[in-house]
Amino acid sequence: MVKKLPEGLKSHQLCPGCGHGIILRLLDECFEELGIADNKIVALGVGCSCNANGILGGDDFQCAHGRAAAVATGMKLTRPNVCIVSYQGDGDAYVIGLNETLNAAYRNENITVITVNNANFAMTGGQMSWTTLPNQKTTTSVYGRNCDATGAPIHVPEIIANNFDVAYVARASVNDVKHINQAKKMIKEALTAQMNGEGYSLVEFLSGCPTNWHMTPAQANKHIEEAVIPEYPVGVFKERKAQ
Amino acid sequence: MKEIIFAGFGGQGVLTSGLVIAYTAARAGLNATWMPAYGPTMRGGKANCVIKISDDENETIGSPIMENADCLVAMNEPSLDYISFCKKGASIICNAAAVPKDHKFPEDAEVTFVDFPEVARKVNNEKGMNIVAAAYIIKKYNMFSDDFAIESMCKFWEEKGKANFNELNTAAMKAGFELV
Amino acid sequence: MEKKLWKGNEAVVEAAVRGGCNFFAGYPITPSTEALEYLSWRLPEVGGVFVQAENEIASINMVTGASVCGARALTATSGPGGSLKCEGLSYASRNAVPFVLLNVQRWGTGLGTLDSGQTDYFKETKGGGHGDYRNIVFAPASMQELVDMAYEAWDVAEKYRVVVTILSEAYLGQMMESVEMPEFKKPAERDWALDGTGKKGIGAYSRAIRGGDGTKVLGQTYETIKEEMQRWEEYGLEDADYVVVGFGLPGRISMEAVHKLREEGYKVGMIRPKLVWPYPVKAFEKVNPNVKGFISIESSDFGQMVEDVALAAKKTKRNAPVYLYAHGKGVPGVSTVAEFCKSVMNGEEKEVF
Repeated sequence: MVKKLPEGLKSHQLCPGCGHGIILRLLDECFEELGIADNKIVALGVGCSCNANGILGGDDFQCAHGRAAAVATGMKLTRPNVCIVSYQGDGDAYVIGLNETLNAAYRNENITVITVNNANFAMTGGQMSWTTLPNQKTTTSVYGRNCDATGAPIHVPEIIANNFDVAYVARASVNDVKHINQAKKMIKEALTAQMNGEGYSLVEFLSGCPTNWHMTPAQANKHIEEAVIPEYPVGVFKERKAQ
Repeated sequence: MKEIIFAGFGGQGVLTSGLVIAYTAARAGLNATWMPAYGPTMRGGKANCVIKISDDENETIGSPIMENADCLVAMNEPSLDYISFCKKGASIICNAAAVPKDHKFPEDAEVTFVDFPEVARKVNNEKGMNIVAAAYIIKKYNMFSDDFAIESMCKFWEEKGKANFNELNTAAMKAGFELV
Repeated sequence: MEKKLWKGNEAVVEAAVRGGCNFFAGYPITPSTEALEYLSWRLPEVGGVFVQAENEIASINMVTGASVCGARALTATSGPGGSLKCEGLSYASRNAVPFVLLNVQRWGTGLGTLDSGQTDYFKETKGGGHGDYRNIVFAPASMQELVDMAYEAWDVAEKYRVVVTILSEAYLGQMMESVEMPEFKKPAERDWALDGTGKKGIGAYSRAIRGGDGTKVLGQTYETIKEEMQRWEEYGLEDADYVVVGFGLPGRISMEAVHKLREEGYKVGMIRPKLVWPYPVKAFEKVNPNVKGFISIESSDFGQMVEDVALAAKKTKRNAPVYLYAHGKGVPGVSTVAEFCKSVMNGEEKEVF
């Protein structure tokens, strides 16, 4: 079966094997299937998520680094009937924007936050992120990440799910078909939660970064299965109450 | 234009004395400014405000800060420091209960002692000595009619949700008028 | 219209609400906090949105999001909070997001003080954030100007699609003055605002429309603003030997001082910019071509606006020395200004330009 591409989706310039392309397509498929392709605004983070600029089709807005959750908050409060999604990387949402991310969740803003965790600052050439795995080599942890000095990998979905009264929190992966199918369901749950006015939803995606991981796309997918998922378990951390 | 300073300890209500007059002046269509002592000092012992009231609707007010006052209402002795911001021959109205009679005033000053707390006590409104002082100034400079001043003050408190003291405050204002 | 006594920080936001402001996000900081407190109940009362944000950065980004979606959005701050807003100002300028920033200036660098001052002149008129952009900057000197400028701010912001700053001062925010408050008005349609349909483009300079990097379009906008938005109050320029220049409260006080000096027979004139960007260069064209000096009166420490005075003098070929009285915190009194002017006229001061 050949699935039709979502109408709005444009081609992107991301690296081969990068997860962003799959995630953006899933997102657009969900918009289309939920009937909100022409009733949504995407607030874009800075980093590789910048590459989503203009390729989802429809309304998007380029935010400052880390501030997408705050921008999305202002959008949602102004247009409560429009689906408002922020699309951010881990460096954007969990490092420089940790404050905005947690505070939007703390207030249970009725927005959907999509984060893409590729365990490094990819756009700037592969520096250590708060999500970088222990002993992972990056351009700022050349001997491997020393968690004694830098802190340990951060698990923001778990932090939010365990501490704040929000609607839906999950972690997905796009390294194989099984995970991709599961990921799409998670996006739909998150968007539906928002459209029903249930409150804040977040879906984190584990994505490969073959370029900065110095791997082939296939190796990157295998690495996700063997090293990344054990650190960042895939699953739902906060189920929707109203189903 | 009239420039009047109200000064005293925090809690003596001197900011409100100025406010009531400025509020009434605005209601009368005059130009009026009210500038409080601002900043950390306002949380200490000293409190003051300066008001400037135009003589008619057309006169505009330039500087809103304390500079060249016609009158200083001093509710305590430290307030007399502000004499340096008064013009020559200014009126210094002192709270007789708190300012010593033997204080050395500038020779040109027109000094009056009024026992504001005592006047307020007599109308059973001990906290209303700031209203007595405001009324005293309104009368001294013949700014507004008694009725308009009382009506405006009552409206001022109504807007603050404190209209239940209007009867007491009206008594304090009337007592203030009678002093002049 | 009926006059009423209003406190600066409350009057300015009430006028904003009557001018169509329907969204506010901010964080408490002295001396602008009353604006936040007032709007926390006032905006919900008129069907608007109020958010107490986690910090200044989040609040200006919330205001960005709201403005992008068509709200007449406001944020307010002072001193250090203003520094944190700068990132948002740069982004908004890039994306032609027309919100309004109220800066109730407090004096000082770093933490500064709670005292009044004009030390944010450079920050607001010369950018502040990264990149090359300009905000329209209103500089009110009285409660009525504060009110009228807030009432007009979004009309201007949306017309040119730029950020508008209202450059207030601590004293102006804290003092009270009689003022005529305007009636509610209905804002113009914001047909550019994002509504989720994908059919609107927020940017007059958005990538789709502007072509290239948009710099040319933005530059043309700035030139138009310079042509259309110069405003000032003037007095006695034609025969003035010396011209005093001041904005905000020090400007208002200086105007009184200049009138006094005239009464004493000194040929002194005054320019009080009502906006400090664009700077009222046109006012300088009206100055006596044989003027002997310009005197900048400002509550900065080392002189900020004085540089624009010198540039305006140069631009209009008034080749006279430029003097500076930098008062630092607070505001100078009438006599202080008058004495400094006399001192300049007596040749006792050294020019800075």
